Amino acid sequence: MPDRLLLAGLEIRAGERVLVRDGGFRVDAGEVVALVGASGSGKTLSARAVLGLPGPQPGVVAARCSVEANREVHEPWSGVSEAFATGRLARFRREVEARFRAIRGRIVGYLPQDARGALDPLWTVRRQVEEALALGRTPGRATDWLARSGFRDPASILPLYPHQLSGGMAQRVAIALALARGSRFLLADEPTSGLDPTVQAGILEEIRATSAEGVGILLITHDLRQVHRVAHRVVFMDTGRVVETLDAADMDRARSPEARALLASTARIAWRAFA
Amino acid sequence: MRATLLAGSAVLWLVLLLGLAGPFLPYDVVTAVDPEAIGLAPSLDHWLGTDHLGRDVAWRLLMAPGAFVGPGLLAVAVATTLGVTAGALTGFVGGVLASTIRYLSTVTASIPRFVLVLLVMTIYGSEGWLLGVAAGVAWAPALAEAVHQRIEVLTRAEFVLAARAHGIGSARILLFHLLWVNGRRMVGRQALLLFGYLLVLETTLSYLGGFGVPEPEPSWGNMLAFEFGQHTANPWGLWAPAIAIWVTVLATGIVSEVFAEREHA
Repeated sequence: MPDRLLLAGLEIRAGERVLVRDGGFRVDAGEVVALVGASGSGKTLSARAVLGLPGPQPGVVAARCSVEANREVHEPWSGVSEAFATGRLARFRREVEARFRAIRGRIVGYLPQDARGALDPLWTVRRQVEEALALGRTPGRATDWLARSGFRDPASILPLYPHQLSGGMAQRVAIALALARGSRFLLADEPTSGLDPTVQAGILEEIRATSAEGVGILLITHDLRQVHRVAHRVVFMDTGRVVETLDAADMDRARSPEARALLASTARIAWRAFA
Repeated sequence: MRATLLAGSAVLWLVLLLGLAGPFLPYDVVTAVDPEAIGLAPSLDHWLGTDHLGRDVAWRLLMAPGAFVGPGLLAVAVATTLGVTAGALTGFVGGVLASTIRYLSTVTASIPRFVLVLLVMTIYGSEGWLLGVAAGVAWAPALAEAVHQRIEVLTRAEFVLAARAHGIGSARILLFHLLWVNGRRMVGRQALLLFGYLLVLETTLSYLGGFGVPEPEPSWGNMLAFEFGQHTANPWGLWAPAIAIWVTVLATGIVSEVFAEREHA
């Protein structure tokens, strides 16, 4: 049974406002799926819903979510909407939290947007990687995993604190942490934001290499050139809805007006850049 | 920087050791009244001279830390236990329990510390352990507030979200990542400041008399009070305890500064 991550029918409301309606995506083992959309279209919320961050609370419901990996099937959201309807969520919450903890990190890893902020500020890289190794009961030394995420001299990184890392280095450390933890899927939330083009290319290469090892990756981005570069499939989101899903190779043939608008705006910027 | 830190911690360790070694110091020598040697200037027999009862100032100076080290450590233990527990609960968990704790803490904090300690000692007696417990309780709200704010800010930090996403449980995040890795220096700093505060408190009480250490037991406070206005040939009876207080409080300040700097490094 190949690894598979599926999220469907996600609905997130904040009071009266609907933030995500009928959101979701599917990621298979070894696949890079790009989740594309303007800021505020609900990309990050959708990705975090897989991990239950935020978990079940008034206004947050996922109809279907199944994570299959390591010959296990997890359905953390099952029964939650029913529990909401009958008002029995309070008693149920502990159990749901335990379900999410069974997949967090162990199966699905998360790379937050600000990688430097995602590392414990008062801890050296060595201790953070070692904690991830201990959590995942993963064999190997910290340097092996740093080397795997693209550090040429991993030993020199070990004693550094997060504030001593550049943005690109921090992102690589974050990737190393997720891999050392043993995650089979990675939810990468704009991993290249704020990085210069050369470093961006390096991180994207890392994502491609990681997926080639069988890890399924959800790449959240609003940069369509990245989709061309590494993604197999692309999911367009707009104002909280999934508007279109297609193969990355066919991206330019998107039909929905929202996806077309996004493509057109990127084309315009690219045209200006080269004109 | 390094030198001042070394000097500061050396002073603190020395004071701590003297305080704990109190029972092993020659009590008879410290309290021995010698009418033949009143108000003598420093000599080889009496390194800091004698006070106006002819007692050796140096010995009294060395034995005095016993009056505040025990209560100081007790106060630190009480304040950290109460303060860190309360701050962690209110900062991380929230809910009715947290609101109740914050309310109690605000009520306690609204009474000036010195008044609170004085009140407790007036009612229950002037024992050393009581001084420690009272000062610890009086200091706890400040520590709780500091821990609360630290935890509350950090709980919303991105790295805590990332830790959750890694599958790290709430207990480990709170106890290990927030309190130990990110909070221990701040708590250490507060503990040191409390220790310095207790030293001043104890010497003040002993100086005022009635609540502090009774004669002939030495305390830097009652040494000051005892020699004040006694115009003998030995100014050191007055100056030595004053300098000792000053140096020790300065040392707590210096070492606590280092905690603060390590935290922001």
